[in-house]
Amino acid sequence: MAPEEGEADGYDVSALERLVRFGGVKLLHGMVDVFEESVPSRVEALRSALAAGDAATLQRTFHSLKSSAAQLGAMRLSAMSREGETLLAGGGSAHEAAPLVNAVEGELERSLGWMRSAGEALKESHEDDRGR
Amino acid sequence: MRTIAVVEDNADNRLLLDAILGSRYRLVEFESGSEALAGLTSSGAALVLLDISLPGMDGTEVLRRMRDDPALRALPVIALTAHAMTGDRERYLAAGFDEYVTKPILDEAILIEAIERLLRRD
Repeated sequence: MAPEEGEADGYDVSALERLVRFGGVKLLHGMVDVFEESVPSRVEALRSALAAGDAATLQRTFHSLKSSAAQLGAMRLSAMSREGETLLAGGGSAHEAAPLVNAVEGELERSLGWMRSAGEALKESHEDDRGR
Repeated sequence: MRTIAVVEDNADNRLLLDAILGSRYRLVEFESGSEALAGLTSSGAALVLLDISLPGMDGTEVLRRMRDDPALRALPVIALTAHAMTGDRERYLAAGFDEYVTKPILDEAILIEAIERLLRRD
């Protein structure tokens, strides 16, 4: 699934704006913090499952990451995760998912970097609005 | 204030649901199906938000066990799921869920309306 129009470079800032609408900048930063804390365990789950040939755990990990990433606007990461989930749900092996595991690991760090910088920009924007 | 049970293993989703619902309802959180089945009866929950993709016992199995339990079978249950393919809604409703909400949550009004509709029904 390719990034859609408005999702520059595979990231959707409107998703972060939505979180601010739901619960303020506090929610946005809280969710980014929680997502960041989850990265090591998700990477470990992917690597361990790949090494063990455990397609079911790989599929479940991709599935979870797919929606978490989309909720935080990391649409390329979500699309990669969806691709991995679809491959495995269709009978693909863990070995066949290896390139996607590697791609997702790289995209996780890039996505976190974007969430942090875009989140800070939104926070400043909201502080500016309150100051007017 | 009515009590809603949230059965969700991902901390980010629990945080989001608390932000959306926490001012309207008292939330009781469970991180697994087994934890939910052990604690639901004493939680006072009037409705359950149930993630489908739970580790170990998945949401569909949790629902099946709830419907087998006289103390839990009448509780309305909303499926929370990132499965959004054609036919998924019908499949979950046929399995006994009362409503189905997809993740990521894009519009909080859809979730709140579903909750309110089910709470009014009971």
